[in-house]
Amino acid sequence: MSREKLRALGIDLPLLPTTSVGSFPKPEELQRARAQWARGLISRDELERLERRATEFWIRTQEELGIDVLVDGEQYRGDMVTYFAENMRGFEIGGLVRSYGNRYYRKPIIVSEVRWERPITVPWWRFAQGLTTRPVKGMLTGPYTVMDWSFNEYYPDRRATCLALAREIRKEVEALIEAGARIIQIDEPALSVRPSELGLAREAMQIVTEGLPAYFISHACYGAFEKIYPDMLALPVDNFDLEMSNSNLDLLEHFKRFPFTKDLSFGVVDVHSHVIEDVETVVARIRQGLEVVPTEALWIDPDCGLKTRTVEEAIAKLRVIVEAVTRVRAALA
Amino acid sequence: MNLILTNAGSYPRIGDSPELQVLRQTLARFDRGEASEADIRRAEDEMVRRAITEQIEAGLDVVTDGQIRWYDPISHLAGKLRGTKINGLLRYFDTNFYFRQPVIVDRLVRERPILLEEYRYARSVSSRPVKPVLTGPYTLAVFSLVERGEYRDLERRVEDYAAALAAEVAELAAEGVELIQVDEPAIVLEDAAFDLFAAGIRALAEAKGAARLALYISFGDVSTLYAQLQELPVDVLGLDFTYSPQLVERVAVEGSAKALGLGLIDGRNTKLEPEAEVTAALERLLPAIHSDVAYLNPSTGLEFLPRDRAFRKLRHLVTIGMRFKS
Repeated sequence: MSREKLRALGIDLPLLPTTSVGSFPKPEELQRARAQWARGLISRDELERLERRATEFWIRTQEELGIDVLVDGEQYRGDMVTYFAENMRGFEIGGLVRSYGNRYYRKPIIVSEVRWERPITVPWWRFAQGLTTRPVKGMLTGPYTVMDWSFNEYYPDRRATCLALAREIRKEVEALIEAGARIIQIDEPALSVRPSELGLAREAMQIVTEGLPAYFISHACYGAFEKIYPDMLALPVDNFDLEMSNSNLDLLEHFKRFPFTKDLSFGVVDVHSHVIEDVETVVARIRQGLEVVPTEALWIDPDCGLKTRTVEEAIAKLRVIVEAVTRVRAALA
Repeated sequence: MNLILTNAGSYPRIGDSPELQVLRQTLARFDRGEASEADIRRAEDEMVRRAITEQIEAGLDVVTDGQIRWYDPISHLAGKLRGTKINGLLRYFDTNFYFRQPVIVDRLVRERPILLEEYRYARSVSSRPVKPVLTGPYTLAVFSLVERGEYRDLERRVEDYAAALAAEVAELAAEGVELIQVDEPAIVLEDAAFDLFAAGIRALAEAKGAARLALYISFGDVSTLYAQLQELPVDVLGLDFTYSPQLVERVAVEGSAKALGLGLIDGRNTKLEPEAEVTAALERLLPAIHSDVAYLNPSTGLEFLPRDRAFRKLRHLVTIGMRFKS
């Protein structure tokens, strides 16, 4: 069914389309430039020149590896929530907060009414899509996650915050579609945080996607999905992109009990490990994925954004994915 | 009634200025092979010292070491026992923080003290009493994955974690620690097994010697557990009031035979709660506590906040608390 939707949108993909979740590591020169820019040592223009160069590098790299659905690699973002908070009204950017281990992010603070004022990701999507004939995904963070990953000093409660964000984020989706994006990924990694709020997350996603002509993917990771499965299938998107490998493919058992009714982007490599999986391991994971969803419905990608790996590790992990998919495709043909 | 102002656990290990990034940078250099374990230790010492200084500057009576050396509340303890390895990331309750899940692969054995040296260092750089904090056996057991057969049984996991943690508690008590905090947030989870949790707490209580044991529970509504918690052999009960509008009334009506740790200041949001609200709650609660002390603290550790906001929260807590100091 989703394949028909994709075709209707003018997108024809091979079996087991390969893709990425979003972020790629920033090349060293860009990392240095970001630090220099933060200290006022280089101009915004210079930084953007290097961000464009890094984006182009990743588009070329994905093409050369043979990835089917590309991402821009988020070379211009520090973080998936802060980036949107910086570009919408109503937020103040707070100090650093730890997310795990030695990783930190600037958790935004909602201090007044949130407002979408102008396209946020559209110029980067346009730039990236202009470099390739393969489809590039539009990439956003969903309202439930932006709400859950922000401090709130303005709205009376989580529900009011989430629905206000949904109404504004829809405007960014409309702008992406207007620019030509046909595959749009709306990340909701916070989805499983409070199972009792799944209805709210669904309602918010409905506000964001309802009636809009695009193939919608939602990415989620590192949560207790067994608590919200199969109810999470009610989220109005076409494809769920899930972290599977970091948690030993535990979710598969649940998918066997209650059929997975959407397309599934199956995370076949762990992004939090330096170890590069061997092709056989990834092939075996893909085959396990094929046991729970129809071949037509399965997409293959890493567990999560690869930005925590080195450039070399990220490329190596993507290469293993492509090789494994090539093997499974040959066996299916 | 003596109202003691304290922290409930962690304090940010980072801040915006360059000198507050020393731990982050040292850990990054270590990953690149450019720093040693001794360098990490020095950077941790530095950040512990700063965390304690800031807590004292904010006006707290009893401080913690900020749990600066903790990778996360689970793996810092579970990962240092023999018999575990460390697995993938999992979200810590409903926070934006992720911990690494331990996997039990062999018999759980504590080979060496974990917290004693950390406590000694903190004590050496603090002019106020330091409260060591550890995560309790039930919470460690619930969040552990199991590869070794016998440990599929949650009771076995709780028992063996409790034995290891009891040794920690005994050592801290022998060191002369007055107050030891045990965090058991997992008891708020839906299908929690109260009996197993209680057995773990009893094992720790038996090891506490002359120290006072404080049981702290965060990240959920404990209203329905309140009467049962009162029965446990602990000296202080720390309650997170941010999840439950009825908890103030319940405590006020049912009273408390134990000293309470009052988590009335939200450790998870930057918004400073209206003074009048906190004051009104304290006026309801304090007369219901049948003990000569009570503690006022944030609802959780403060690592969920940026450093400047964490400090502001503590100042706010102290401003309100000072009005109730006798």
